[in-house]
Amino acid sequence: MKHLIPEFEKLKKRYPAGLDSALVLPCLHRIQADRGYVADEDIDGLCEFLRVPRIQVEEVLSYYTMFRRKPVGRWHLQVCRNVSCSMRGAERLIGHVCKRAGVSQPGQTSADGRFTVSTVECLGSCGTAPVLVVNETYHENMDAAKTDALLEGLK
Amino acid sequence: MPEIFVDGVAIEAKDGQTVMEAARDAGIYIPGFCWHPQLSVAGNCRLCMVEVEGDTGGWMDIACNMPATRGMKVLTQSPKVKERRKTMLEMVLLNHPVDCGVCDKAGECMLQDYHYEHNGAASVATVAKHRTTKFHELSKRIVLDNERCVLCSRCVRFTKEVSKSHALGILDRGDHSLVRCDEKRSLDDDPYSDNVVDLCPVGALLSRRFLYKSRVWYLQPTPSVCPGCERGCTVDLWHRKAEWKFNALDPRQNVAIERVTPRENPAVNGPWICNKARDLPDLLERPRGGAPMLKGARVPLAEAAGAARRMIDAASSPVALISSWGSNEELAAARDALGPRFRCFVKADHVPQPGERVGDDFLIRPDKNPNGKRARELFGTAPVSLDGADLVLVWGEGFDFADVPRGAKSILLNAFLAPENGHADAYFPTTLQTERAGHYTNFAGVVSAFAPIRRAPAGSVDAEALFGMLAAVARVPA
Repeated sequence: MKHLIPEFEKLKKRYPAGLDSALVLPCLHRIQADRGYVADEDIDGLCEFLRVPRIQVEEVLSYYTMFRRKPVGRWHLQVCRNVSCSMRGAERLIGHVCKRAGVSQPGQTSADGRFTVSTVECLGSCGTAPVLVVNETYHENMDAAKTDALLEGLK
Repeated sequence: MPEIFVDGVAIEAKDGQTVMEAARDAGIYIPGFCWHPQLSVAGNCRLCMVEVEGDTGGWMDIACNMPATRGMKVLTQSPKVKERRKTMLEMVLLNHPVDCGVCDKAGECMLQDYHYEHNGAASVATVAKHRTTKFHELSKRIVLDNERCVLCSRCVRFTKEVSKSHALGILDRGDHSLVRCDEKRSLDDDPYSDNVVDLCPVGALLSRRFLYKSRVWYLQPTPSVCPGCERGCTVDLWHRKAEWKFNALDPRQNVAIERVTPRENPAVNGPWICNKARDLPDLLERPRGGAPMLKGARVPLAEAAGAARRMIDAASSPVALISSWGSNEELAAARDALGPRFRCFVKADHVPQPGERVGDDFLIRPDKNPNGKRARELFGTAPVSLDGADLVLVWGEGFDFADVPRGAKSILLNAFLAPENGHADAYFPTTLQTERAGHYTNFAGVVSAFAPIRRAPAGSVDAEALFGMLAAVARVPA
């Protein structure tokens, strides 16, 4: 994360002095966007830069489930399993996605490193349930055929 | 000075006080897990909920975070308040394992007390209780039982606000929340970490030292003073009550210091102590010296004292090294007995050990002896000099016998078993602070008392009495 420090310095200017701990969240977002996940050395570097205790960064990382401590595959497939999606067949979709991605259950990464499958809570797209998010792109009203076509295009 | 009414009783609140503080000052107890007088207000346990009467029907709020304002009418025992407390305790109890039978906290647990007082019903859960980690190693000194934890965050706030190690935090969220140490295990390096065990209102944080050692109701606290440094924190030494001593027990268990807790003292240590004080049994329960000896041969006390007197009589330039572990009483006796005859120097019995925190701006002080200040007041601050001495009287530990001048005689007063006991021309096993009453004067001049918890081992002698025996001769000019 060392190369992000100039960017963090700029960000710091937008916050009142003495409130550096408020930067934990935006910095972690930037680190994850850069590396794909938050590594141990990122936490150390961020603590040193912001002068916040390590536990504070760990608390933030564990509180927000969208932060990752481990790398994911090239395509991160996130399937909603909340009420609306479940009523519209999310359970079947999760099973199908897992099968096509080559993993035995959600939370795993395929052997070739192409796919990671996760189940997530509401993505705010209940009207077009079930929803599959690939990296940061929404794919709505998913079914098996659309999933097959979608995954085929993800190399 | 706003006047408020708690359950119809008018009490004077200090400016800026909360209802909780004002009520406790007035002797009205409002329950609460998360509120602690020395920590910031978290307001998360909701157990201190009280009813405030108002013109428009009143409202409920937590007493710990509610500023006392003039004329406020607070009810702490109304049906609504009681109902709310019961409800909160029902929630705490939903997944609590109720394993009081094997919990070290049983007997001094706030959840037990509150449950008996405010709830009394079994868990209302109709499904299996939520299981989580037990015996989680939080540090090398502390284990955490997450099933008992009520997430009051007292321990977290302690490491943030008091010990400032920032070691603990609450990970995850909702009912997955867990108190955890950071991944660097900073709690291992926090010399005040064991205070969180006392702070924990329930049996979640447990001292590994005390784990399953004894039920607390078999123990009684005796006031004492930690000799670990010149701060002289007042502590309670917990040992078995007389009526719970049994021949069937391991003899050690009947007399041992089972645990050490702080004895609250605003003038010295507040409600905290450091981990060294928790480990006092390691310091005070080392093997003991046994019987008086003359050059390694055991003799009765009178014979050893007689020989020591003759040595003092015969000496032309005697030197005494005064223990900075001596109590005020012993030091006064030493001055009366030895002062006129000996050149006296104050000796540091203990010096900082490798890895030990030498000093900080909280409690720990660099002088690792409890009574150095008083000793230096009586005997001066000159550095130890044995030049020309033909008799060296050494009182206490921390002296290398290789430094005794060639040909000089030596008298040693030491409570513990040590090789030099046998080398001294006369050796007297002395008593410890756990075997006599006395006082220490700390670095700031505050005098604190300690009381005995057990009888001295056979053969040992009070230094105070011994100085009296030696004084009979020492006072008469040679």
